Amino acid sequence: MQQFLDSLNATLPLEGYLVVGAVMFAIGAWGAIIRRNAVVVFMCIELMINAVNLSLVAFADYLPNAGGAGVGYAVLVVAVAAAEVAVGLAIALAVYRSRKTVNVDEINLMKG
Amino acid sequence: MLIAFIFLASMTLISALAVVLSRNVVHSALFMSGSFLGVAGFFVMLNAPALAAFQVLIYVGAVTVVILFGIMFTQRPQVRRFRLIINRQMWSGLFVALGVGAFLAYILSIQDWVGTSPGYGPRETAELGEILLGLNGAPEIFSLLFEVISVLLLVAVVAAIVVSRRKTGEGIDRGVEE
Repeated sequence: MQQFLDSLNATLPLEGYLVVGAVMFAIGAWGAIIRRNAVVVFMCIELMINAVNLSLVAFADYLPNAGGAGVGYAVLVVAVAAAEVAVGLAIALAVYRSRKTVNVDEINLMKG
Repeated sequence: MLIAFIFLASMTLISALAVVLSRNVVHSALFMSGSFLGVAGFFVMLNAPALAAFQVLIYVGAVTVVILFGIMFTQRPQVRRFRLIINRQMWSGLFVALGVGAFLAYILSIQDWVGTSPGYGPRETAELGEILLGLNGAPEIFSLLFEVISVLLLVAVVAAIVVSRRKTGEGIDRGVEE
């Protein structure tokens, strides 16, 4: 019993966080590939960015020689992602105004 | 630790799957904020409480609200059969994503990260600030990146306004009617 409680309190290996990040990245990539709605594609891209952020912070906390640089990169990634959402949704809005749809497989203006 | 990890991992991953598979776009946005909250919990577990606060403020707060506004402006009521929310790449996309996930998980697991143990990250917010400004032994590139990111945010906000603004004389209520 005591051994079981100790195992619950043990520190987690780095690989646990990395695998969660990898699976989350894969789910986001799947959604970005299969969904038709451009807004949901944005959400899936946000999921992928968050998965990468999780890996960065895990590395910053676990690697002795990193000096915590991963947390700094994570802050920068959050800022870039916020800018990406602002511009992306503005583009979706502009596309909706001119085409009356945001389904990515119906927007084939640049198809040769 | 283990219980918190399992709880946060299941919350994050199940919410992420629900974002992809939910038929209602608004439900997708709400599940997305649930997934972001799970990641914020991971940040707390990883000794980065300041970053967890950023995550809750920016992602769970701001990004979710902006995306909900985007949904409000661009979606009209539509038939929501599952066949209609996905394009034709359902199975090939699943194979690609499974391949990417399995490859990443395998590579990251077999890699020998020498001497890892938790607690090396900057727990204090002051340390995080010094890293961001490239002080006290942090890579000096961060001071440049910090400036670049400021300019990028300004440019992105201006670009968002320019792209989404309505031209004068181009229909009064286009986009709002229907």
